[in-house]
Amino acid sequence: MISQIGSIAISLAGGLISSSFIFLGLFKKFNNQTYLQVAERSILATSYCIFLSFFCLLNELLISNFNLQYVAQYTSYETPVFFKVTALWAGQAGSLLFWSFITALFAVSYIFTTLKKLKALKFHSYVILSFIFSFFIVLSNFIANPFEPVSSDIVVQNGNGLNPLLQNFFMAIHPPILYVGFTGSAIIFIMALAASISKDISFEWVQSIRRWSLFVWTFLSAGIILGGYWAYNELGWGGYWAWDPVENSSLMPWLTLTAFIHSSMIQEKRGMLKKWNFLLATSTYILVILGTFITRSGVISSVHSFTAENLGPMFFTFLAILILYTIFWFFKRKSYLDTPDKIDSFTSREGGFLYNNLVLILMCFTIMWGTLFPILSEAWDGNKIYVGASYFNQLNIPIGLVLLFLMGIGPLLSWNYTSQSILLNRFKLPFSVSFLSGIGYLIFSNSFQIYVFVAIIGVSFTLSSILGEFYKSYKKQKNSSNFLHSIVKMLLSNRHKNGGYIVHIGIVLLFIGFIGRAFEVEKEFSLSPGEQIYFSNYVFKLNSIKSEARDNHYAFLSEIDVVDSSTNQLLVNLKPEKRIYFYWNSDPEKRQPHSELDIYSTIQKDIYSIFSGYDAQKNIGYFKIMINPLVNWVWIGGVLMVIGSLFAFWPSRRNS
Amino acid sequence: MNKVTTSTLIIFVLIAGWVFYLTNIKKDDSLTVRYYSISELAKESNDIRKIKVGGYIKPNSINVSEEDQLEVSFFVYQNSDSVKVTYYGIRPDLFKDDAEVVVSGSYANNLISATELQTKCASRYEGDLKNIEKI
Repeated sequence: MISQIGSIAISLAGGLISSSFIFLGLFKKFNNQTYLQVAERSILATSYCIFLSFFCLLNELLISNFNLQYVAQYTSYETPVFFKVTALWAGQAGSLLFWSFITALFAVSYIFTTLKKLKALKFHSYVILSFIFSFFIVLSNFIANPFEPVSSDIVVQNGNGLNPLLQNFFMAIHPPILYVGFTGSAIIFIMALAASISKDISFEWVQSIRRWSLFVWTFLSAGIILGGYWAYNELGWGGYWAWDPVENSSLMPWLTLTAFIHSSMIQEKRGMLKKWNFLLATSTYILVILGTFITRSGVISSVHSFTAENLGPMFFTFLAILILYTIFWFFKRKSYLDTPDKIDSFTSREGGFLYNNLVLILMCFTIMWGTLFPILSEAWDGNKIYVGASYFNQLNIPIGLVLLFLMGIGPLLSWNYTSQSILLNRFKLPFSVSFLSGIGYLIFSNSFQIYVFVAIIGVSFTLSSILGEFYKSYKKQKNSSNFLHSIVKMLLSNRHKNGGYIVHIGIVLLFIGFIGRAFEVEKEFSLSPGEQIYFSNYVFKLNSIKSEARDNHYAFLSEIDVVDSSTNQLLVNLKPEKRIYFYWNSDPEKRQPHSELDIYSTIQKDIYSIFSGYDAQKNIGYFKIMINPLVNWVWIGGVLMVIGSLFAFWPSRRNS
Repeated sequence: MNKVTTSTLIIFVLIAGWVFYLTNIKKDDSLTVRYYSISELAKESNDIRKIKVGGYIKPNSINVSEEDQLEVSFFVYQNSDSVKVTYYGIRPDLFKDDAEVVVSGSYANNLISATELQTKCASRYEGDLKNIEKI
């Protein structure tokens, strides 16, 4: 019953969105405001239908209605309630409905907040919004319908259950957070196009689109970091970033959006760079759709990808229309977007932002090129060329380092023009700090790595530059005797700017984590209980391997003593496990082995242990140990980035 | 030329250089690796510094060294062609006869010295429902 309602609601959404097109057409022809209003209500009603069908699917998942193919495929009676909820986005059909659901949430809040103020954008916003909606509604109705019943000749006694790898808190929450970022970028896309088409770029518009961008950026960043956190703690290859096509697809829009947040500041302050900003704002959503096309069409294989249905051509068409539409209006409105004002000097804040933009876009392009290269080269001459992590690392490390320095230089530059004497004066502190830390590296490290050397200088330069800025504003604010009070007052005095600086400190901390990767070491070995092995200043002694049948898996439990060989003291007792899910299944193909990691984590380094396999006949365990320095700084930096951007985002809403 | 134009020019030259570099990454085998099929490789008599090959593990060809459990050799086949592979390290969970594998490494004297060994796992969760009764 409920599933029928859901199914009807999603078809009804299709009817409603068509009516929105009709009334938009009528409005265009007769210019009668009533038609526009009807179109608006159609879009709202479409959104409500999507909400309804979303909650119907949620209900079916919770009550385990295995008459639905989707519910039977991704949940079982044993699936915990929390993961029954997260099964909403575990598969193709559910995740597409979930995508529509978030789009609908954004649409409703966009109509009720932004469009209440920027009335001139209504018509074109509705046109684009209706187009985006209709695409996803068509998918949910005809290509991947989550309310599809199982075939009529079978009865499902129990569902398949959610993949145990996905039954992890961070796995469960990172896709929806990313989706909020992905779909939110549609609003930025719509705003940029609608304002340019209706030639109504105002100061309020700039402020509004910036607010949306910050909001979307926060979610994109949080989603990317959480995805890395999950990969590191659950997947068991010891890293948090592998330049997988899916990861790249989330990073590309993040880069263009980051660029937009910076360059739109120039538009806010000086009304410049309208064309450039138009391109950045629109390309963010286009890259989101490109990424979705890459990952869902199966054109590039990836660990993350869903099995391909006939989504590829659909997404490709959608993508092509978005691109052509954007290009068409870009050229049509080129003269409107032209700004007479030019940048006076490159040693100015604007100049700094421009460099930052170029570097970010270069990085985005490099990543896109590497991600698409296998397809491009195969199309070109039939040779399949793989682009590995080495491509992305080798090319992005230098670009990233330039970015790191720019974050330190930016705050030292003034708007319009910075005179040489002021510049020299401001450079004193960061320059001397970074000089000293560079010397420190040369003296204290026993091997020289150029990137590490440059990164250490960059980190100390940028950190001291930002902290110096904080100190300056602190001194200006300082009037009460209470230190904490003054700090808070200083931070609150300009939340926008200070929020940005907090984000930058977070990124600098990320770089500290990245430096750690240069010192990672790993070893694979086999041990029988009682044996030990020496590696990287530690002795690893395998005490025992026990086995245990648990609720939904069979586990081999190892126990490894880690002894610090310099002090000869027991550091930690690691207990990585080898698990076999569905071990009762008579078909060995259906059993699923999984290595449950154990990590000894400190602020300096992680000792990461993987129990890779167990040979029961010979009683030999296979292990992999990795020593990963400074990984925790990545998470700390990530948290700080999110805090900083929330800090910048909240007050601006209250001010308006 | 004023300063702004000079800087713009320098930036453009740098970007153009970068883009030119990117279009030529195919020749740089520290960045990219070409995928070969087994039949292609079986005909290849030259040594290749970096390759990636996909195929299936030939039944009864897996040979684990007695001295070191991490040392293994096996044949990868596709249709009637096969190539010998040696590998040192932990084998993936699904490593067994007839498993589909992707091997990366170097090729010399008709032998692949693998540095990376991946098994392709059949996705267990998409597709067939398991606990069903026909009516």
